[in-house]
Amino acid sequence: MASAAPALAAAVRPRWLTTPVVLGGLIAVFWISVALTVGWWPIHDAFLATGGRLGPPDATHWLGTDKLARDVLSRTLHGAQYSLPIGLAVIASAVAIGATLGAIAGFVGGLIDAAIMRLVDVTLSFPAILLAMAVTASIGPGLRNATIAMIIVWWPNYARLMRAQVLAVREREHVEAAIAAGASAPRVLVRHILPLCWSPILVNATMDFGQVVLQAASLSFIGLGASPPTPEWGQMISEGARNFYQWWIAFGPGMAILSVALGFNFLGDGLRDILDPRTQ
Amino acid sequence: MYRYIIRRLIAMPLLLLGIVSIAFLITHFTKGDPLISIIGERQMDNPVVIAAARARWGLDRSLPEQYLIYVGSLLTGDFGTSLRTKQGVGRDLAVRLPATLELVIAAMLLGSLVGITLGVVAARYRDRAADHLARLFALIGSSLPVFWSGLILLFIFSVQVHLLPGPGRLDARTTAPPIVTGFYTLDSLFVGDLSTFAEAITHLILPACVLGWTVMGLVSRQVRASMLEVLHQDYIVAARAKGASEPRVLVNHALRNALIPTLTVIGFSFAYLITGAVLSETIFSWPGVGSYAVDATRSLDYPAIMGVTIVGGTAFLLTNLATDIGYAFVDPRIRFR
Amino acid sequence: MNKDGTNMAGQRGMARLTRRALLLAAPVLASICGGPWLAPAAQAADTPLVIARAMDINSLDPARTWCDTCQIYVSNVYESLIGLGPDNKTLTPRLATKWESNADQTQFTFHLDPDAVFSDGSPVEAKDVKWSWERLHNIKGGPSFMMDGVKSIEAPDAHTVVVTMEAPNSEFLGILTAPYTGAVNSDVAIANGANANADADKSDTSEAWFMANSAGSGPYVLADYKADDELRFKANPNYKHGKVGISEIVIKNTKDAVAQAQLLESGGADIAMQIDPDTAKTIKSDSVAIETVPSYNFVYVAISPGAKGNTVKLTKEVRQAIGYALDYNGTVDFTVGGQGKLQPAPIPNGFPGTADLPTPTQDIAKAKELLEKAGLGSGFEINAEFPNMNVYGVDLSLLMQKVQQDLAKVNIKVGLTPLEFSVWRTHVRGDGIPLTAVFYAPDYFGSAQYIQYFAMMEGTPWWKRAGGANDASITNAKEGDLLKQALAAPEAEKDKFFHDIAMEMINDRVIIPLVSPNVVLAYAKSVKGVRYSACCNLPLGEITRE
Repeated sequence: MASAAPALAAAVRPRWLTTPVVLGGLIAVFWISVALTVGWWPIHDAFLATGGRLGPPDATHWLGTDKLARDVLSRTLHGAQYSLPIGLAVIASAVAIGATLGAIAGFVGGLIDAAIMRLVDVTLSFPAILLAMAVTASIGPGLRNATIAMIIVWWPNYARLMRAQVLAVREREHVEAAIAAGASAPRVLVRHILPLCWSPILVNATMDFGQVVLQAASLSFIGLGASPPTPEWGQMISEGARNFYQWWIAFGPGMAILSVALGFNFLGDGLRDILDPRTQ
Repeated sequence: MYRYIIRRLIAMPLLLLGIVSIAFLITHFTKGDPLISIIGERQMDNPVVIAAARARWGLDRSLPEQYLIYVGSLLTGDFGTSLRTKQGVGRDLAVRLPATLELVIAAMLLGSLVGITLGVVAARYRDRAADHLARLFALIGSSLPVFWSGLILLFIFSVQVHLLPGPGRLDARTTAPPIVTGFYTLDSLFVGDLSTFAEAITHLILPACVLGWTVMGLVSRQVRASMLEVLHQDYIVAARAKGASEPRVLVNHALRNALIPTLTVIGFSFAYLITGAVLSETIFSWPGVGSYAVDATRSLDYPAIMGVTIVGGTAFLLTNLATDIGYAFVDPRIRFR
Repeated sequence: MNKDGTNMAGQRGMARLTRRALLLAAPVLASICGGPWLAPAAQAADTPLVIARAMDINSLDPARTWCDTCQIYVSNVYESLIGLGPDNKTLTPRLATKWESNADQTQFTFHLDPDAVFSDGSPVEAKDVKWSWERLHNIKGGPSFMMDGVKSIEAPDAHTVVVTMEAPNSEFLGILTAPYTGAVNSDVAIANGANANADADKSDTSEAWFMANSAGSGPYVLADYKADDELRFKANPNYKHGKVGISEIVIKNTKDAVAQAQLLESGGADIAMQIDPDTAKTIKSDSVAIETVPSYNFVYVAISPGAKGNTVKLTKEVRQAIGYALDYNGTVDFTVGGQGKLQPAPIPNGFPGTADLPTPTQDIAKAKELLEKAGLGSGFEINAEFPNMNVYGVDLSLLMQKVQQDLAKVNIKVGLTPLEFSVWRTHVRGDGIPLTAVFYAPDYFGSAQYIQYFAMMEGTPWWKRAGGANDASITNAKEGDLLKQALAAPEAEKDKFFHDIAMEMINDRVIIPLVSPNVVLAYAKSVKGVRYSACCNLPLGEITRE
C-alpha cells in the first residue's frame, strides 16, 4: 500500500544519499576529527601506565588496559593519528605518481607508453603484500618505510586508470578542436583532457583509502611497520595476539580498522553515484 | 582473440625476468645483515668466521655477479639455499606449498559457495533487508583485517566454546598421513585413515572460513550484478510463467548464465587469498608459504624472500593470465576482435 | 502469480531446498562432532612426548648449529665428554669417565668410557673425539670459538685424549660441558662428506646429510626434521645406559607462549618451554604442573660512551649515575611479574665468582649528585635503540619503557627506537648505540665466557662497541690480568679471581644487568624428570612418563 510520504521523500532526497553513504560519511568525519583533535580530548594518556595491567573493560577503562597498564580505548583513538595520515600520504602520492605517469603514457603513446606500462605490469605482477614486505624488509621496518613500500604497491593502479581515461577523452571533439586551434601538447593535456579524467580516480582513491589503512596495519602486524610503543592499530593487534585471553586489547584496533575500511568504502560508493549518475 | 592470448603468453617470460630482477634488487639493497642468523651473535666479531660464512653463501661476490649466478641457477630450477633453514629454498617451498594450496583452495571453495549464495539472495530480494544484510556481510569480510578475525574466531570457537580445534593442521600428537599430494585431507583418504581425515577437516574449517570471508565481497558483488542483469531477461519470466519453482528458476536458469563472469572474478580473488594466507598462517600455525614468507622477511633470508616473491609473483601472473583468457572467451569485445 | 514474477510455490520450494541441504550436511557434521578435540585422554607410556616451543633451528650439524633449540637437539643426540650435574655446578662424567689437568692448566687428559658406543653400535674412540673437535674448530661455524686456544689434540690410544692449550685455560673443562663439543661418529660422517681438515669450511659438504641424520652416542637419534614444523627424536637402541624413559619425542614449533599454554592445557603437548609468568597464570588445568626456577639467562642494558649518537660524554660517573637511577626491583616486577632475580654483575648468579657480590640498589639522590658533579644536573638526552624482541619472558620494549620512566626521574630523556634484531646488530657494531638492551644465555658452565664478552679488556665485543678503541678511559687493565690468573689457577682457587673481575665489571658500569628471569617449567603432571640445565636446556634422557 503506497502512501504519499515516501514518494515525496524520494523526490526530495537525492538518489545517492543512501544509508550506507550517510554512515560512511559519519564514520569518515568521526575518524578525521579524531585524528585531528584527539590530543585535546579528556581521555587517558596513550603512552603512560594509567591503571592495572591487563585489566578487563570497566567504568574507568572502557576497553580495558594492556600489558603496560595503558588504556586501550585511548590508544585506539590515538592510533588514528598514525593510520589516517599514512593512508592519506600513500593515496596522495600513489595518485600523484600514478596519474602523472599514466597521463603521460596515454597522451604521448609510443615507446614511453610501452615502457611505463611494462613497469606497471611488472609491479602489478607481485602480490601486493609480498612486494610491500620485501621492500620494507629491505629498507628497514618503520612507518615511514612502510609508507614508501605501499606507495610503490599502489601507484600502478592509478597509472592504468588515468591512462585509460586519457585514451578515452583524447578522442573527443573538443580535444581535436583544441589541437586544431594550435594549443601546445602540455596545454591540451592539462586544460582539456585531465579535467575530465578525475572522477574515477577520486572514487577509487576514496575506496582504496580503507584498504591502505588495512594494509598498513597488516605490515605492522607482521612487524614491518610501526613498532612499540606506537599505538598503531596493526601493532596493537599484534600485542593482542600475544595476550590472547585479554580479548579487549585487539578489539579496539580491530573495530577501528573495520569501521575505517567500511566507512570509506561506503563513501566511495556514494561518490561514484554522485559523480557519474549513469553508473549502477 | 587468439592473438590476444598469444601476446599475453609472449609477455610472460619478460615479466618473470622483471619479477626476478626487482625481487633481487629489493632484497640486496638492505640495511640488515643476514649473517647473524647463520653464525650467531657471539661470532659476529670474529673476522675469520664471518669471512668463511660470507664465502660459503656467496655474499662476498659483487652484486652483478650474485645476480647472474642467481638467474643462472633459477633457470636450472635452483632457488638457492635458505639462510635460515639451511635447506634448498625450492625444497622448502615445495614442502610448504601443499599446505597453503589446501588452505587457499578450501577458502576459495567456501568463499565462492557462500559468496554465490549471498549474491543470489541479494539479487532475489533486491533492495530488501536480505539484500542489504547479504551485501553488508560480504563487505565486512573485505574490510576486516584477516589477522584479527582469525584471532576472534579462534577465541570464540576454540577457547570459549571448544567447538573447533586450535591452531595447526592436525593435533600435535597426530602423525601426518604419508605424503601423496601434501593435502592432509586427500592423503588421509588415500590410506583410508578416517580419523585423521576428520581432524584435517576440522582444523581446516576456521582458517578457510576466515580466509574465504575476504573474497565473499568480490564474488557476491559480481553474482548480484550478473543475476540482476539476467533476472530481467524474457526467458526468466517465461520459466516462471511455466510454473517452475523459485529455486529452480534461480539456480538452473539465472545462476547458470550469471556464473561465467563470476568464475573469472573467482580467479581474480586469488590475490586476496595470497594476502590472507600470508597474514593468517602465523595465527593458525599453518606451516605454509605464507608463514615462510613472514619468517624470511623477519630474518632477512634473501634467497627465501626472493624465492617466495618469485613463486608468488609467478602464480599470480599465471592465475591472472588464466582469468584473462577465460574473460576473453566470455567478453564479446575481446572475443570477436 | 505474484507481481514480481514469483509464485507461492517459490516459498515452499526454498524451504525444500534448505531441508535437502541440511540432510546432506548432517552426516558430515556428525562425523566432525565425533570430536577428536574433546577432553584429552591420558597418554599411554609409549605415545610420543610432545614439547611445544618456538623452533629457531639454524642447522642440525653440530659444528654449525647455534640456537636454543639446537642446544636441546645436540645435547641429546651427541654426547660431550663432561656433563653438568643437576645442581648445575658439578662436572660429571659422560663420555669421559675421568680426567686430569696439569698444574698450570695447559694440558688436559681425558679417559673415555670403553663401553661407550655410537647409535650404529660402533665404539666411541679417541679418534672420534679428536676428529669432532678439530672439525668444530675448522668449520668456523657458530660454535667454533669453543676450540679457541687449543694447540693440539692427541689420541695416544683408543680411549685417551690429550689436549694441549696455547695458554692456561682452566675454563676448558667447563667448555666441554657444552653440547656442541659432543663426539660425532667420524667414520659415518666422513662417508657422507664431512671432514676435519683446515679448510673444512669450504670442503665439508655434509650439512645436508646432518639435516636428516644424526651420528652421535646420545640417548636419542634424529628421526625426522621438518623445518618450521617439528623435530622428531627416537630412542637410541644402542645407548649405553640402557633404556630411556620415552621412546619418541617431538618438538613442535609453536611460536608464542599463549599457543604453547593452550596446547599444554588441551593435552596436545606434554611440555611447554617458553611460557612467561603472565601466561602461566592463565593456565587453570589441574593436570598441568608449573614450576619456576632461577635461570642463568639475563637481560641487561649497555651504555656505550663511544657511540656516535652521544650528546654528552658518558664518563664513569655518568654511567654510575645511570646505574643508581634504575629501579631494579621495580623492573623485575614490571617485566616478569616478580618472577626473576637481580644480578649484580654480567656473570649469572651461581657461576664461579658470583658469591657475595653486592646487589644493585636504586639511589636517586646519589644519581642526581653524580650528575651534578659531572655538570649534567639539568639532564641530557640519550637515544636508545634495541631489538624489539620478547626473550625469556622479558619484553624488551616494556623493559626500555621502564628504563625510560626511571631515568626521567633524574632528568635523562631517553628516546626509544625498537629495531629488528639484524638491523640492531648492524647498528651496534657500526656506529654504536648510546644505550641499548639485550640478553645473554650461557654457552657452557664457566665465567670466563662472560669476561671474554663483557669486560672492558682490549678486543672483547663490548669493549669495541663501547668505544674502547678510541677512548683509553674505558679500558680496565686489571680485568685482563685477573683473567689470566683465573685461567691459570687450579679449580679451588679460581673463584677468587673471578670475584675480583666481577667487582671491576660492576664498577665499569658499562654493562648493567637488569633482570635474570626465572624459567617457567610447564608440563603435564604425568611427566617426570623435567629440569632446567645450564648447559643443555632440557636433558631429554631423564624424562619419564607414568
